[in-house]
Amino acid sequence: MLTSLIKAFTNLFKKPQTIDYPVTPIIKDREYRGLIEYGEESCIYCLKCEKACPPGAILFVKTETPSENEKNKKGLQYHYNPYLCIYCSECVRACPKPDEALWQSNKKPLPATKEGKVNESWFELEKLKKTE
Amino acid sequence: MKKTINIPLGSQHISLLEPVRFKFECENEKIISVDSDVGFVHRGIERACTTKFKFDAIGYVVARVCGLCAITHSLSYTAAVEKLLGGEITKKAKYLRILLLELDRIHSHMLCLSHTCENAGFEAMFMRIMGDRELVMEIQELLTGNRVQFDYINIGGVNRDINSEVAKKIIENLYEVKQRVLGYMDEFTNNWSLSLKFKGIGALSLDDAYSFNAIGPLARASGLNIDVRNEIDYLPFNEIGFKMQTQFEGDINARNIVRLNEIFNSILMCENIVNGLPEGEIFTKLKGKPNGEAIVRFEAPRGELMYYVKGNGSAMLERVRIKTPTFACIPAFTHIFVGENYADAPAILASFDPCLSCTAK
Repeated sequence: MLTSLIKAFTNLFKKPQTIDYPVTPIIKDREYRGLIEYGEESCIYCLKCEKACPPGAILFVKTETPSENEKNKKGLQYHYNPYLCIYCSECVRACPKPDEALWQSNKKPLPATKEGKVNESWFELEKLKKTE
Repeated sequence: MKKTINIPLGSQHISLLEPVRFKFECENEKIISVDSDVGFVHRGIERACTTKFKFDAIGYVVARVCGLCAITHSLSYTAAVEKLLGGEITKKAKYLRILLLELDRIHSHMLCLSHTCENAGFEAMFMRIMGDRELVMEIQELLTGNRVQFDYINIGGVNRDINSEVAKKIIENLYEVKQRVLGYMDEFTNNWSLSLKFKGIGALSLDDAYSFNAIGPLARASGLNIDVRNEIDYLPFNEIGFKMQTQFEGDINARNIVRLNEIFNSILMCENIVNGLPEGEIFTKLKGKPNGEAIVRFEAPRGELMYYVKGNGSAMLERVRIKTPTFACIPAFTHIFVGENYADAPAILASFDPCLSCTAK
């Protein structure tokens, strides 16, 4: 009884376990699995990441204005859907030039909005990929 | 005139954590018969595994069957495919797999204990255990890069290595968890609302546990020596100090004590792994496509999890069958309810630690 009273009293002056989120930012671990980032200059367009991705969040689709990278003979463009990505980093392990062409950061994706038309634009890319 | 009254519990109910429906036929306060239905969150994962995904991506698909035992699902599937491909993985990868499996068991059991407290009306204890569970979640995030969906296990090994900083943090946090769990042990054996109230409620005898095919902590609380970790030789559980935990009363209190003892045993195993981790590679590349049939069993936090995988030499599998622990325990669940008071039903149900997203998948 006495110990519980003492505990109850000391608890009054304890800090809460939760953090004051918008004021105090959440400290993310350096090794946290976040967004996949892409370096176009080093990419050799082997498309291994596209094949390795379990949910299919990386697509290389033909474009009319391809980059000036000389390895890009088919005129492809890299597309990445952070809302489909499961951050498993299979693509980074499949990449022949990890850390230069494809790497994993510890950033979080921005919230998807209705105006962004995340789904519609991605479905169109998927359709284009199928017709190729 | 009809003397009994039908009372449904679920599929949505304030005391339920997951969508399951029990139809109780009650005579006054006593339950005299039970009917159950579990298929409320069916997602068609088994079908998706054979039609939409190639075999090397399915490890990530089946990890989404359940949030709490994600690691056991991906481990079981990966082990089955490794059996078919015929490769041997390194000893270090095996130890790291056990490490994560046991960390998963610790936090899953802590969640179950906290819900038992909540159903006993002990909100403060519920919050305390949930707060302490963060210590384990923190280690898992450091180790794998994510709190819940670990995506740690790969066909051929594991995805990440452990460094000395993380190893130090694991030992520190596990020591802290051990101290806290010792405190729970005291509460769960001496506190009136957690021990005396639960003694003799929802009891399952040893014979019934055997004949109703109970598994996991439910069976071990009745004195049935059944644990897959003791039976398989795929992962070296016996080398790192695994010890079967059993009780004999078979009631809610016995189940809680079994879970607490298992947490202690898992902490010991994790400490042994981190202190004596062998040197070597964490990944070996396995070539080929799965051809043939394989059955793999593992001990998930709730009991035996079984995977059946059938491949035909192509990238798409022919069949993936998942048999989850809760599904196997349902006959025992319905038997335990008979003869109990209706008011005890939520507490009994929480003590089973049912996982319906596993069951309905």
